[in-house]
Amino acid sequence: MLPDTVHKLPREERFAYARLLAYMARIDNELTIDEMAMFEQRLGTALLSPDQRELIRDALRNPPTLEECLANLSGEAGRLALRDSVMMAAADGNVDEDEREALEDISEHLGLREDAVDQLLQWTVKGYRWMKEGYDILEHLEE
Amino acid sequence: MFPDGLGQRSPQELLRYAEILVNIAAADGELVREEIAVIEGMMGRCMIHPESRVTVRTGFEQPIPLEQSLADLDQELIRYILRDAALVAAIDGSYDKKEIRALKTIAKAGGVSTQQLTDLLDWVGDGWKWYVAQREILG
Repeated sequence: MLPDTVHKLPREERFAYARLLAYMARIDNELTIDEMAMFEQRLGTALLSPDQRELIRDALRNPPTLEECLANLSGEAGRLALRDSVMMAAADGNVDEDEREALEDISEHLGLREDAVDQLLQWTVKGYRWMKEGYDILEHLEE
Repeated sequence: MFPDGLGQRSPQELLRYAEILVNIAAADGELVREEIAVIEGMMGRCMIHPESRVTVRTGFEQPIPLEQSLADLDQELIRYILRDAALVAAIDGSYDKKEIRALKTIAKAGGVSTQQLTDLLDWVGDGWKWYVAQREILG
């Protein structure tokens, strides 16, 4: 929706990115409509091939382990996957304990600073506020 | 990026929504990868059916005229479209004259004044500022 770099990553890295999001989507064995919409949005932005999309949807049905996801994830793909994992975890308005733990594990795997997840959560809250302002503008757009 | 009432719309309405986004992206010439990525993301967010997405992609080459896609849509939907069209138009960092013209056409169809359109474009600018802050966090 806003300028992003996910689509610029090499194909394999985009796949690894999406696989981690599939893991995050299923972490609490519950997939809300908000999380699903966010997952599909990120999948679209990643411009995966039809075959890759099919594999990712399989991963949604049979989620890989976090270790399997992280084994192929580093650098920019990893950072973007963490960012979008935070957004997806927060999509239903609540980040539960399992989600939080996984986010911290991903951050540690990527060697990010200790408060990275907190910072990203705060950033996400600001994003929700911005989007809410968009709704408010839409509601008052009648001439 | 965030889910909203678009998910409650009919498949036909969502198809029109996506067609208009393609039209906006193509307004300044050929569609670039950034524009395609953002449209694919928006189609994903609304969970447009995969077969409908294939139909929308055919418009990448030959976009459907804006007036045709806008015909008979209700104003609430047109305003959602205007919001997301503004985001698509901004994706390359600026608004082209043709994009502005197309946005004005959508605004008119949605009963939105020029000042309100300006407010909406300012809101898009605020979103850009929010979005770039993640780069500092991620290093």
